[in-house]
Amino acid sequence: MAVAMKKPSTWAHYVALLKKDLSQELHTKDMLTSMGLYALLVLVVYGAALAQAGSELDILQMAGGLLWAVILFTSLLGLNRSFSHEKEQGCLEGILLVPMDRSVIFLAKATANLIFLLVVTAVTVPLFFFLFLGQVGAAPTWPLMIAPLLAGTVGIAGVGTMLSTITMNTRGKDVMLAVLFIPLLFPLLWACVSATTCVMCAPEGFMDTFVTSMALSAGYDIVMILISWVLYDFVVSA
Amino acid sequence: MANEEKAKEPAIGGIIDRVAPWALALGALLATLGFVLNFTIAPLVNGAAVNEPALIGGAMVQNKLLLSQKIFYWHMPVAIASFAALVFTAYYGIRFLMTKRACYDTRARIATEIALVFVLCTMVSGEMWERFEWGVWWTWEPRLTTYFILMLMIFGYFILRNAVEDTERRAVYASVFGILIFIDVPICFLVTRLIPSGVHPVIFRTDSGLSPEMLLPLMLGMAGFALIAFGLYRLRLRAQVMEEKLARIQDKLED
Amino acid sequence: MDPVLAEIYSTVLGAAPFVIAAYALIFLVLCGYVVFITTKLKRTEKKLAALEEHVDALK
Repeated sequence: MAVAMKKPSTWAHYVALLKKDLSQELHTKDMLTSMGLYALLVLVVYGAALAQAGSELDILQMAGGLLWAVILFTSLLGLNRSFSHEKEQGCLEGILLVPMDRSVIFLAKATANLIFLLVVTAVTVPLFFFLFLGQVGAAPTWPLMIAPLLAGTVGIAGVGTMLSTITMNTRGKDVMLAVLFIPLLFPLLWACVSATTCVMCAPEGFMDTFVTSMALSAGYDIVMILISWVLYDFVVSA
Repeated sequence: MANEEKAKEPAIGGIIDRVAPWALALGALLATLGFVLNFTIAPLVNGAAVNEPALIGGAMVQNKLLLSQKIFYWHMPVAIASFAALVFTAYYGIRFLMTKRACYDTRARIATEIALVFVLCTMVSGEMWERFEWGVWWTWEPRLTTYFILMLMIFGYFILRNAVEDTERRAVYASVFGILIFIDVPICFLVTRLIPSGVHPVIFRTDSGLSPEMLLPLMLGMAGFALIAFGLYRLRLRAQVMEEKLARIQDKLED
Repeated sequence: MDPVLAEIYSTVLGAAPFVIAAYALIFLVLCGYVVFITTKLKRTEKKLAALEEHVDALK
């Protein structure tokens, strides 16, 4: 008697892996609390760092850069932890036993990281506006900054997931991730800071720069995520 | 099976290695020749206009003549050599991922070493030009930024290699990161070039082509440094392969 | 000296140290790499000698 066995689709694998990460996070709230707290603390540090600058400082010009610095460092913290519990509990070995396309692991993990990062960013950005831009206020075009925030977090999650899989098995992995991650992400950071600053200050003819920056960050995302996706199988199997 | 694998292993000490020292010598010769010619036959380039033209050697000169541009005759060849080495890093990385043979990983590593050496050369010579022309030690100019980031990534590559114990795993990680570097560098250049920072407006000099007298030393330099890079690569590879063979013999002896 | 000529060549003398430094530094970096290869080779040589002793001792 033949038993009808339906082979789960790649999509089903993806959903299952993503659900696993999300439910684990909902259970422990480990990543979100640590990342959120860290972001808050970086903002506090900014408060002290900018305290002596006085009112002559044009905070708006720097706001985009400062904002991206928080996001980058917070994401670094989250990415470092994203594989630590997988490794400690031997979860990854279990996943690797499943006969499936391993790139799915990359997509699922990157999506999970992206969701965490987006949640933390959604909290950090209003907080940043509240703490630093209360008096000056951004240009009316500021809602457009959603675009660079999305493009940036997608790139950070994609490249970061790849690199944190690599650094998971190295000595001194916390520093290692930063050493590989920050130079590799530099072009994206440059483009995103440019786009964000553009919409926050809205100088003359800023739309051109904004569009160029967004096109470049989208291009970076597409190229780097495709490459990571192709190479992920080798990395996770090693 | 094992014998077949061995047989296909790219040979060390073959015809390529016999050529390599000569390539190195010829490269040094060509680079030196380019160096001499750029100070003798290549004219000085024009800078800012002067108030009154003057007659020098039968030609009217209306601009300041710049000596600082002479740096370019070695600067550009080493920059090209560094990127060429990086192409080989990515190529051998892909070959390693396809075949999983350690010999390709060794080659990728040595190619990255060569890339680092030539990146350093590019950085120091570029730094000298920039210090004189722009009057600063550092500015976030596209080419400068790209090379700085490239240097950091190559450092990262070697730090990564040192941080992984397992040989096979190290090779895979290094290959993947090597490929990522190779993809990232052009993007980095494009991004910093198309989105210049607003703080330091940089005036790009629009050099309208090079005259044949300037092209000749440049070409000599390019050929010279390509040969030097190749010669150094083979020399280093040969030493490395020897060391690895020695380690293998030692292991066998201890068994 | 003719003031016009002086103006035309005004940057040459200032640039000379930087040009010389650039070429010298490239040369130095390359020399440094050759020294690095040589030290590596010397270490391999030492290991080889140790191995030879080891083999002799086994006999």
